[in-house]
Amino acid sequence: MTMLAASRRTDVTETDGRPGAGGPRPARTVSDRIGWGWIGAVTRYYPVLLIFVLWEILSQLHLLDPMFMPPLEDVARTFYKEIFVTHELLEHIRVSMIRAAAGLGLAAVVGIAIGILMGRVRAIEGFLDPLISALFPTPKLALFPLIMIFLGIDDASKIALIFLGCFFPITINTYAGVKNVDKFFIWNARTKGANSRQLVRYVIIPASLPFVFAGLRVATSTAFLLIVASELIAANDGLGYLIMFAERSFDPALMWCGILMIAGMGFTVDRLLLALGARLFAWQDS
Amino acid sequence: MNDTMLAAKSADAVNADPVHVDMRGVTQRYRTGRRGDLLALDRVDLQARRGEFVSIVGPSGCGKSTLLYIVAGLLEASEGEVLVDGKKIDGPDPDRGLVLQNSSIFPWRTVEENVAFGPQMAGVAAGKRRALTKHYLEMVGLEKFATFYPRELSGGMKQRIAIAQMLACGPSVFLMDEPFGALDSLSREVLQDQLLQLWERDRKTVLFVTHSIDEAVLLSDRVVVMSPLPGRVKEIVPIDLPRPREDARASQAFGQLRNHIWAAIRQETMEAIG
Repeated sequence: MTMLAASRRTDVTETDGRPGAGGPRPARTVSDRIGWGWIGAVTRYYPVLLIFVLWEILSQLHLLDPMFMPPLEDVARTFYKEIFVTHELLEHIRVSMIRAAAGLGLAAVVGIAIGILMGRVRAIEGFLDPLISALFPTPKLALFPLIMIFLGIDDASKIALIFLGCFFPITINTYAGVKNVDKFFIWNARTKGANSRQLVRYVIIPASLPFVFAGLRVATSTAFLLIVASELIAANDGLGYLIMFAERSFDPALMWCGILMIAGMGFTVDRLLLALGARLFAWQDS
Repeated sequence: MNDTMLAAKSADAVNADPVHVDMRGVTQRYRTGRRGDLLALDRVDLQARRGEFVSIVGPSGCGKSTLLYIVAGLLEASEGEVLVDGKKIDGPDPDRGLVLQNSSIFPWRTVEENVAFGPQMAGVAAGKRRALTKHYLEMVGLEKFATFYPRELSGGMKQRIAIAQMLACGPSVFLMDEPFGALDSLSREVLQDQLLQLWERDRKTVLFVTHSIDEAVLLSDRVVVMSPLPGRVKEIVPIDLPRPREDARASQAFGQLRNHIWAAIRQETMEAIG
């Protein structure tokens, strides 16, 4: 009906239909910005740098209790030793990353598939929607003791916990994205001969990808949270274990190494995802 | 059923072209809950002959877009049927191309990828697809913009891409739902002229839904006037202006036809916007 068509009028911004009006516009502006991006990023994060400077100054003035906040140079020295001499930190990073990546990867594959199915198949939607709505608000960490009973304290229980924590945001976002695909895109594709498999591959997935991506970002921060939490609770290795071990053996410099490492990794992965998103979704209206 | 019988059935039996699109008793009801059903279309009988340009005008809510979506196979009529070349339609088909009011071209595909969409779905080989894409982009004058994303184009350009996307599927029927409705009046006239040239060269069957009486008179062989609530065919006005039509806008006959159609829908429009 005309009502439906009218609802799409709102996104019209330009209406100049003359051929070549104003000449061809530059196709890409993103590449122009990249050169300045790095300098801009560094200057933008000066407050973080400022905190480190403040930390060092306060330590030098003996205003900080070294049992909680050792001088930054101690942290740096420990960091250097752990990475380049004993390689112990690297091993903890590796173990944590493998667990997080396995849980997150599994959740991405299963979550995206289920999200698409929920968005496309009425029966699956009707069955899973109430289940997911009911389970989503439960803090998954509360299930960790139970998971450990079944899967032990090794990698399997931690991967399962991360999977559970990441599955929900990915599924829910994918489902919302698929549901949100403009009906007129679907109609257009169907009148151009797309069958239902092609419709999913060439229209539903690309159209809902920004939603899926937002879900992946949330899931990534959840994965970092859960890996540390689970390793704090019960583990023999990993960054969470390292932090707990350092705290118990009165080694605050080592503890801060672990904390700063996990913070830096979380930040880096999130920025990488953002950059990837900007590249993937260059087609989107900004 | 053979073609001669269908032709005899059509409103204007003088024209010997066979009926191409045949809408028979098309009725569409929407459930609206307590207040009962809404009759969006009430037993619409309408034929378009092969190569005929038929416009459908009427106030908002007369069901003209609904009728078009039913012919496209996207909506199923509550009652009645649509035949194309004497065969009852069953769902959408690339033979019946659709252009919607606002660009429903895919924003995640470049201009050339958008035009290549239909051939890609049909499994046309990449090399041939490129040639097809180039051909249709040239036809709408946008070959320079092949690698652009839709967001980088104006509204008029997007609609030309939508037309090229449809043409690349090689349809025999064009279904156009207010394709120029969201454009400014200058772009609109340019695109009307381009569509006229395109149509006069290939003479495809066109069902063209519009709010604009001027547009309908300028483009069409016949203008179907619909009335709302329930959506019915009120009058069918043959447009006997000579073609090509690009210069017809200023002629006296154009004005008379325009006034005639306006008089026919005036009453309903007043009530509809009341």
